[in-house]
Amino acid sequence: MAEQPSLIKSIVKKGIIGVVIGGILVGVAIALHFPPIFQGMFFGYAMLGAAVFILLDAPSLKPISGVKAVIALVVFYGVLSVVYIGGASNLPQYDPEDEKGKIEKLLKAKRAASEQGKAEELLARAKALSEKADTIMARLQAVGGAAAEAPAGEGGAKPAGAPAAAGDLVAMGKEQWNLQECYNCHKLFGEGGKKRGPELDNIGNLLKPEELRQKVLDPQSWMAEGFEKEYEKKKMPDKYKELMEEKEVDALVAFLATLKNPAVNTPKPIKKK
Amino acid sequence: MRMWQRSVLIALGLLAVLGATAYAQVPSAPVGEFPYTGNRTAVWIVAQLHILFAGFILGAPIFVVISEWLGYRRQDPRYDRLAKEVTKVTVILYSMTALTGGLFIFVLLATYPQFTTWLINHFFLIFAVIYPLLFIGETIVLYLYFYSWDAWKGEKKGRHIALGVLLNLIGTITLFVIDGPTSFMNTPSKAVEGISLADFIQTASLWDKIFNYSWMPLNLHRLVGNVTFGGFIAGLIAAYMFMGAKNDEERSYYDWMGFVGNLIGVGALLFLPFMGYLLAYELCDYDASICPYMMADQLSMFFEMQGAMIGLIFLASNYYIWLSMKRIEGVERVRMSLLSMLVMIALPFVMTYTWTIFPAPDPKSLGVLLPLVLAPAVLGKIIPPLGRITVSSRVFIKVGFLMVVVGNAIWMTPHGFVATQALATEHLELPSDYGFLALMPAKNSAAFTLVFVTVMNYILYNRAIRQGTIVWGKIDFASQFVLIFLAFSAIWTMGLMGAVRSLLRKYFHTYNLLPDFTVESFTPTLSYAAWWITGITLVFYIVVSFAIVVTLRVADPKKGHASEAKPVPAGAE
Repeated sequence: MAEQPSLIKSIVKKGIIGVVIGGILVGVAIALHFPPIFQGMFFGYAMLGAAVFILLDAPSLKPISGVKAVIALVVFYGVLSVVYIGGASNLPQYDPEDEKGKIEKLLKAKRAASEQGKAEELLARAKALSEKADTIMARLQAVGGAAAEAPAGEGGAKPAGAPAAAGDLVAMGKEQWNLQECYNCHKLFGEGGKKRGPELDNIGNLLKPEELRQKVLDPQSWMAEGFEKEYEKKKMPDKYKELMEEKEVDALVAFLATLKNPAVNTPKPIKKK
Repeated sequence: MRMWQRSVLIALGLLAVLGATAYAQVPSAPVGEFPYTGNRTAVWIVAQLHILFAGFILGAPIFVVISEWLGYRRQDPRYDRLAKEVTKVTVILYSMTALTGGLFIFVLLATYPQFTTWLINHFFLIFAVIYPLLFIGETIVLYLYFYSWDAWKGEKKGRHIALGVLLNLIGTITLFVIDGPTSFMNTPSKAVEGISLADFIQTASLWDKIFNYSWMPLNLHRLVGNVTFGGFIAGLIAAYMFMGAKNDEERSYYDWMGFVGNLIGVGALLFLPFMGYLLAYELCDYDASICPYMMADQLSMFFEMQGAMIGLIFLASNYYIWLSMKRIEGVERVRMSLLSMLVMIALPFVMTYTWTIFPAPDPKSLGVLLPLVLAPAVLGKIIPPLGRITVSSRVFIKVGFLMVVVGNAIWMTPHGFVATQALATEHLELPSDYGFLALMPAKNSAAFTLVFVTVMNYILYNRAIRQGTIVWGKIDFASQFVLIFLAFSAIWTMGLMGAVRSLLRKYFHTYNLLPDFTVESFTPTLSYAAWWITGITLVFYIVVSFAIVVTLRVADPKKGHASEAKPVPAGAE
């Protein structure tokens, strides 16, 4: 290999070249309307290139041994650890709090159906019965004077098991949209999507509720125009029949059926099954 | 470590596995709570440590046998010595695999008793019969292989190599068998029409459960990954021994061993991105919602970090080739065709464009790319003056580095610098005209560029050793830190991608089938994961370093080995 320049000279020379190339890249990135964070990334790559070339032309490292070698190794591992943890920590971090509430809601029905959930439910019911018994006992003791008192919860509260009002169902459906993360693939109200699936603002005008239900439970039953290529057919997962409760599907369908905005070009669904 | 100590360790490991099965029968066991880490992280730590040890003991024997065979065929004692030294370390780490495996089952049973029992019952034949038998068989064959090394030489060497092949056969079957339940947790077999997944799984055969979407891709990915990992650990062993070498003979040998270890590691590494794609492809094919979760949403920055790690590994492995070439006398005479260099420069851009027009697996893309890759050889023959235009090895390899940086830049360009796409704004996203930089055609071309440059560098190295003389032992000392860096980074990346594969199950123990009702079933931050991955890597490193020092430094390394002190003509057998 050719004669090696001194390390300092090499660092200065290649550092300057790196800055110049980085500057040019940033200029090009600005001209092409890349956001500042990408401009910084391009500059970083130019400097990485400079660092690589500095290393390539660096003079040979003198051999070290014994305690010095051990210390060098420990320091090296320390540096690697700090760089990797630091690098990972400096990237954008997902906030687990965003997910915790969702998971709790998603698993509520399944937890109730599980052995653990049934045990918890039995305990809760036993507790409620015990409280009710206490209330009755208290009433019996006060019989006469308190006869006119209405039972707690009567009148205002909706009886359990009564069908939800249409408004409630749509709200529940919207919640399902968020919980099942439909927005990851479908754009709605101008948000989400990323072109993986069709924009759905006008889907209520194109599919009837029973057809919407069929699409959710069997995604390949209907395919949107422009999304019929072979590799796109399995883009929508066929897991919702396993994951969602009947009433959750009802709610999602009710919500989707309200989406009737003809100003948005929702592609026409084509029946496949 | 003595035989009886190893035996005790393995017995403890087996006891743990069998004891754990018995423990699973006890009803209503109180669920343990790990302080500070929580249960999920505790399982993560033990499982990852177990996988690292297991990855090494399954990967190392593959190239150990190849090395032994090469030594026998070429009558080169260095290959046999390399094979034996790596086997010595493997034997100690085998005990650690058993120990951490037993610990893994204990921790899993204590923290997730219902799920563990459920999984064991679904794969009862594997956990209770097949896996223990394979493990016992592998133990017997490994010890036979190790302790018959000196006895079965000369005419009996073929028998010894056959034993090594048997060891690998059992090891590979063990890997494939245990990948059954592991992959099942990610992609449980799909139910037939009209039956719910839960009902189907209750009646599905063992084979149905094993032969799920991600089983074979995971097998292939782990097999190649283990060889890569084993190669880099062999490089690590060589680096430690080179640093502690007392004379030129030792330095010469361990310089050679480091080179071979790195060659094996890099050789297998070239296939790894494609095995990774295959696994990701099958996961996405199984459930399309896994893809955005992995690449665009909650885990997208894990992949950004993976891109950085892969880029660093490729940079380091090519830097090692560079340092290796510096110790070849006469390397200045080596030249490469200018056409090859131009193809190397054009490749990422042409590939991105071609795959955008003809998305994989459309074979039309080959109609453009194959002629491009073959152009230097073909044009050089058709128009000889073109083939005679050459550049120096120094220029060629430097341009190659530039392309590795470009490839890495493309790989690491995200759609947006956001933790999930839901948070994307125009200030954090690629301009819409350049969104293709974040799509698969661009990522594939980046991976191909890294692979292509590395292959070209090895072709260059091969030319250099045919025209010059390698002065073994005289490699730049910095190369030893490169070998250590490669091993550390490979382990770290394994930890990172192991976490990704597990997290893909989201809030399920078994995806879409068995929910995880604990409060820990959320996606952790990358920063949190990085702390634990680094901790696990360091613990593994400490144990491996201990194993290397105990087996190779404490013993007399010169005993029974042929002299390798003299510089040998490059490429000499």
